[in-house]
Amino acid sequence: MKSKKNNSNFLMGMLALSISFPLIVVCSAWFFPGTELWAHFAENLLPELITSTLMLLIGVGIGVSILGTILAYLVVMVEFPGRKWLEWALFMPFAIPAYVLAFVYLGVFDYSGYAQVWLREYTGMPGFDIRAGSWAIILTFTLVFYPYVYMMARASFKRQKIQMIEAGKMLGKKPFEVFWRISVPLARPAIAAGLLVTLMETLADFGVVSLFNYSTFTTAIYSAWNDFRSIEVAAQLASMLVLIAFFLIYFEKKARGKAKYYSSDVSHIRPYRATGFIRWLIFVFVFGVFMLSFAMPMLQLVIWSFDKYAEEISQRYSDYFSATGILTVSATILTVVVATLLALPSRRKDESKVLQLLIRFSTLGYALPGSVMAVGLLYGVQNISLVSIYLGGASINHILFGSVILLLFAYISRFMAIAYNSTSASSEQIKPVFEQSARLLGSSRIRLIREVYLPMMAPGILAGGLLVAIDVMKELPATYLLRPFGWDTLAIRVFELSSEGLYDRAAIPALMMVFFGAIIMLLFIRLDSDKY
Amino acid sequence: MLSVNNLKISFDDNHVLDGFNLNLESGDIFALLGESGSGKSSALRFIAGLEEAQLGSVALDGNSLSDEGNHSVNAELREIGMVFQDYALFPHMTVFQNISFGIDYLAKKEKIDKVDKLLDLIGLKGIEKKYPHQLSGGEQQRVSLARSLATSPKLLLLDEPFSSLDKSNRDQLVKEVREILKSAGVTSILVTHNEAEAEVFADKVGVINKKRLIIK
Repeated sequence: MKSKKNNSNFLMGMLALSISFPLIVVCSAWFFPGTELWAHFAENLLPELITSTLMLLIGVGIGVSILGTILAYLVVMVEFPGRKWLEWALFMPFAIPAYVLAFVYLGVFDYSGYAQVWLREYTGMPGFDIRAGSWAIILTFTLVFYPYVYMMARASFKRQKIQMIEAGKMLGKKPFEVFWRISVPLARPAIAAGLLVTLMETLADFGVVSLFNYSTFTTAIYSAWNDFRSIEVAAQLASMLVLIAFFLIYFEKKARGKAKYYSSDVSHIRPYRATGFIRWLIFVFVFGVFMLSFAMPMLQLVIWSFDKYAEEISQRYSDYFSATGILTVSATILTVVVATLLALPSRRKDESKVLQLLIRFSTLGYALPGSVMAVGLLYGVQNISLVSIYLGGASINHILFGSVILLLFAYISRFMAIAYNSTSASSEQIKPVFEQSARLLGSSRIRLIREVYLPMMAPGILAGGLLVAIDVMKELPATYLLRPFGWDTLAIRVFELSSEGLYDRAAIPALMMVFFGAIIMLLFIRLDSDKY
Repeated sequence: MLSVNNLKISFDDNHVLDGFNLNLESGDIFALLGESGSGKSSALRFIAGLEEAQLGSVALDGNSLSDEGNHSVNAELREIGMVFQDYALFPHMTVFQNISFGIDYLAKKEKIDKVDKLLDLIGLKGIEKKYPHQLSGGEQQRVSLARSLATSPKLLLLDEPFSSLDKSNRDQLVKEVREILKSAGVTSILVTHNEAEAEVFADKVGVINKKRLIIK
């Protein structure tokens, strides 16, 4: 029995370790001697990079926590007009890649965008640069990433026992106090988990920050590698990102605390019914968020697409579709299988500290920009080839470079965290008593996994798979660097056009991505709504 | 003191209560007995202001709280306390924080004194710093009672508070809670499906029969 557990621990450790391969390569960059270039970076750019990155993280963190939590609370706890469809509509920004929202906002609100032109003409207001400062980029990130907090907080509020809120009421507390002192503290682990994903996404973003000319670690890494051709400096900068990500995960774990709030009661009763003016105020607020984060940008994309449809559409689009589809489906399945294996509850209770650490480490890839993942993989494979040749073997470069395998590997390493957070959260809900009773009923380990764990973890597995699918479809830098010849995806097309400032033409592939994203979202919503 | 008049509650066209009346004097301890689904909990939740009804009014100390099945005074403003079946203690707060939750407008010293007195009353001194999950079921229910009494409610509602406990603990606690409520002089309504429990606990027992309340 003991050795069986050790074996499974060992296998899982190896699995987690191999997922971490690009990360390990990146971190090993510190063992290379420091270069003059690194000294230049460290002296001139690093302090500013750290400040601007932290500022972005703090701003976006505050933004998504407040917006995501309030929206989730309103749709779960309060009855107001339009609540039923808005509850689901608020998920829709998941379908929009952050860089698409950024280019739409820039196209509309920038100096030459029609919103500003109109303002200048009709109000005589002087023009302004929305790239100046960090408020516009923080707002953009907040609007595109709030659904992560919203989703987690919503699920948590739904699981909260209604008696908790009723007890608060009966003790004389007004709705806001019940929200602030009971509901929010009880949802804190969920809010922290959503916040963690958001901050990781923000750290890894390349598209939005480059469109806004905002310098962060990702832009510096890109510059080190692209402008200075220094893979070491790029890797050293990237390893600092890993460090930041590690701190974020640590704080999230602290925020979760020791408290375990098992509760599976799902109540259909909404404890508050807003009346009169307040109910319309709530509607305007929630609807406003939906309009700003989804409906209005979509409308703009449609308008642009109509103008440029004939110019942009061609035979190539069937290739973009098939590349996007094949990559998304295969990467999602692989990632979810790995994440589920690592999160199975029977393993959880007797896993070693080392294994826990390895798994944590393997989920850090989420904070790394895809370009760093790609560089780490290429660099690592190249070094393995060198070692292999040195030992009298053959190079593996020709097998892996320019093959789908490397790209899929990058996706798994990059998006493991999303799937793992979701599968492990659902596995933590499975009380140990299920395993004990299944064992006592003579069930084998395989049967326990197949008939007890997997069905119980299914919602988490599905939710994780959905998020991974959308992220893979949107993924840009790693795809750009690692895609085999002829494997251009829709995201690549959006990038090629928008980086040349052809926003109106980029709107067409962007709209297609949003369309597929929306279909996946609707699928998820259907699955999810069956539960409640 | 409390008067509930002409209460009518139905679920999906199925009337569970119709013409339900209840009048209590100050300090009364009343038990409302009924099968599950008889509407006894719904009546209690209507009095609390947590659920609405098709018809019916509630008045406490001569002030109207609900009329025609609608609430004119919200639950949080009724000065009515409630003890729940599964205790509903806030898991993220200590015993002290739970009990003082409704009286946090008091100065610190007064709060400490009040919690101290209440813990003395329920016979659980020295557990202020514990969390609910560190307590037994009976202890949790006593803390829940203390929390409800802290706000000095005019009326206390107890919704099957003993049904999660095993029998040996239950019989003892039923007597104890009665003593506590008697000494505090709080008007109370217990909802239960256990006849013996109702007899031991209450001065007056009512049964729901044919959608109406009959005082035994």
